[in-house]
Amino acid sequence: MTPLFRGMRLLEFGGGAAGPVSTRYFADHGATVIRVESRQRPDFLRILRLTPDSKGGVDGAEHFNVLNANKLSVALNLSKPEGVAVARRLALWADCVAENFAPGAMAKWGLDYASLVKARPDLVMISTCLNGQTGPERHYPGFGGQGSALSGFNHLTGWPDREPVGPYGTITDSLSPRFAAMLLASALLHREETGEGQLIDLSQVEGGVICLSEFVLAYTANGETIDRAGNRSRHAVPHGVFRCLDRPGTQATDRWVAIAVHDDADWQRLVDALGRPAWAVDPTLATAAGRLARVGEIECHLEGWTRTQTALDVATRLQAAGVDAGPVEDLGDLHDDPQLAHRGHFQPVEHPILGTHPAERHAIRFSAMEPRLERGAPRLGEHSEHVLRELYGMPADEFTRLRDLGVFE
Amino acid sequence: MRGNLHGVRVLDLTDEPGFFTGKLLGDLGADVVKIEPPGGDAARRRAPFWGGTSDPERALGWLALNTSKRGIILDVDRPVGRDLFLQLAAGADVVLETAAPGRMQARGLGWDALHARNPRLVLCSITPFGQTGPYAGWRGSDLTVVAMSGNLWCTGDADRAPVRCAMPVSHYHAGIEAAVGVVFALLARRRTGEGQHVDVALHEAMVAPNVGTGAMAAMSTKFRGQRSGAAIRLGESTQREIWPCKDGWVSFAMRGGPARIPGLVAMVQYMTEHGMASAALQAKDWKTYNHNLLTQADADALGAEFGAFFLTKTMAELYKAAVERTLMLAPANTAREIVASEQLAARGFIVDVEHPGRGTLRFAGPVARSTSKDPAATAIGIRRPAPRLGEHTAEVLAEVGVTGDALARLRTDGVIA
Repeated sequence: MTPLFRGMRLLEFGGGAAGPVSTRYFADHGATVIRVESRQRPDFLRILRLTPDSKGGVDGAEHFNVLNANKLSVALNLSKPEGVAVARRLALWADCVAENFAPGAMAKWGLDYASLVKARPDLVMISTCLNGQTGPERHYPGFGGQGSALSGFNHLTGWPDREPVGPYGTITDSLSPRFAAMLLASALLHREETGEGQLIDLSQVEGGVICLSEFVLAYTANGETIDRAGNRSRHAVPHGVFRCLDRPGTQATDRWVAIAVHDDADWQRLVDALGRPAWAVDPTLATAAGRLARVGEIECHLEGWTRTQTALDVATRLQAAGVDAGPVEDLGDLHDDPQLAHRGHFQPVEHPILGTHPAERHAIRFSAMEPRLERGAPRLGEHSEHVLRELYGMPADEFTRLRDLGVFE
Repeated sequence: MRGNLHGVRVLDLTDEPGFFTGKLLGDLGADVVKIEPPGGDAARRRAPFWGGTSDPERALGWLALNTSKRGIILDVDRPVGRDLFLQLAAGADVVLETAAPGRMQARGLGWDALHARNPRLVLCSITPFGQTGPYAGWRGSDLTVVAMSGNLWCTGDADRAPVRCAMPVSHYHAGIEAAVGVVFALLARRRTGEGQHVDVALHEAMVAPNVGTGAMAAMSTKFRGQRSGAAIRLGESTQREIWPCKDGWVSFAMRGGPARIPGLVAMVQYMTEHGMASAALQAKDWKTYNHNLLTQADADALGAEFGAFFLTKTMAELYKAAVERTLMLAPANTAREIVASEQLAARGFIVDVEHPGRGTLRFAGPVARSTSKDPAATAIGIRRPAPRLGEHTAEVLAEVGVTGDALARLRTDGVIA
């Protein structure tokens, strides 16, 4: 079929991951996603790792580029009234608007929903920020590190005898864009069916907390705080990560295999896969309660077995025996993972500074439509003229006049 | 209350990894029917239990993620149950399922059978690795899929094994992606008239939380990840980002850039007012500050001052000041602080949900707010508590014309409950 969102224009304000990752879902299915950026205040992922020696400056940032494939970029100087006026015209021309500035920023420019909806009654817009658009802390800006802390994920991640470490990648930065895509898509469906638009107000903290509903309920129902617990389960043993060989014939190093036994039948499968050693056939370990009482001892024995093999060998052997296990992959290993390769997770895109590099697809595959990665991420303002002149239809003399005023910076 | 997905009918056959998808669709207004096997979902037998004693109507993990659903008990592994399921599917828009690949086909409920019965139906399958591929037949759970995603490797302390979050983060990521996939498929159906099979993998969904660094591992730095505890590697140094304070921990980054430097300046001002910023820190030139150019000694010196100050304040004191002064700091909240949050209360996020016969439970509420001309038409939030065992069996089966003696017979035979 024709890509689902072919012909749809999505205008995006803001930066980082929480906003921009959400619009990729639409871009990958054919939408024209246009980022509004500025040279005065580049997307923080364009400068997160920027040094004076960085090749390509703000256009060469790998982090920005892997997340923003398939999009166009218009540079607009929003400190100039002419720049704001162009942004407003684009917002009213677009089919939907997404933004993740701190609350108040869009209103300051007259680009908030309340201002735009007067001229575009069926506007679909989503605003996402740390704490949401209302409430006493609405103006408090934040990044994923704060979102992860406020919503409980930091507390829950790490070892019980040590400080919290937080999940790698500041988790609200990966949860929020998924919520945003779901909410935006539902609003588009509602508009197709009823003709009515809406504003969606997504708080990144609330999105994190709703995932942790069980953590909330354990406290509100029983006064219990669920705490970080390493890799152990409260219900099953063994459930953890065990040291392995890096390569056959070397010493055990920083390589690991994850093994999860969920019930007593799993335990018997594991015992068989281990070759029924004396310590494991102990009948008191046949029940979860028995294993929970001797968790440390079991983990120690199991690691004695895993550390003479590679993680993939252990996992493959255990999976063949019907036991849930997998190698702990580092970020480089992902490129050798046969399942991710089968799903085409990494797709090459072209970039004028970075050359050919991988970008990522989402975790959804459809039987009747294929997500496509057609272009690398845009350079800052790369498509200002293309979008304004060719897509929007701005007359040449007006474009030139505005350009000479420094509007497209 | 209607909602953006009003009129969408969902049959939810999922186990724990898929509960969240149906909850989200229900919170957006879809009519979601949770279908449990005889005896109820396995997750009803998992602690913690409301009040502490084992009871399938009081399993908090189950209650948490099955709100906004009706519930029936139907044995789809028996031919009569399967036929009843197909009858329900004939009038449904969406089926959600988490069975191992191949299991639905074996039951006679695979994509081909469902599509033949109802060409408009969207089938969404959520599995550890996806429907096809070399690992499709592997078992997987939150620990193992997170292990295989790169995300576990990068989480934890350098001197210990990689470590997970105590809650199943893969269920959340894949669960939301599945909801995205379902709504995309419903949008596509408006154009084509046909449903499709949506295949979501927990493993692949967990690559995304690496926020692009998975792809970057094949780029210039070949950076394969590193466990650096409560710190992050930036430029030439490792910089702490979660700090102990007087009664817990706070998140605070020493990163610069136009969005963050005002927060650093404000933090130094705050410390100065408490006599805890050195002359060197007070004199620091933030205009030229670049966190990527800090040596380890620079980062340690800067961190020592911030760290010493945080130890003199509580999480609540620091967060109050952070909001007032825009310090870009946040406390590592537990559920206690979350439930007590003034911000969440002001937004009506913390809601009380009545559970008939058991009392009221305080929940995390709407995932977002919608503003529109007709707020009831776009409302988001919990519609009803999670269903009791078989609470809506008679009601739902009546909708496909099964009532009276036929219903009674199915009950006697143990096909429904």
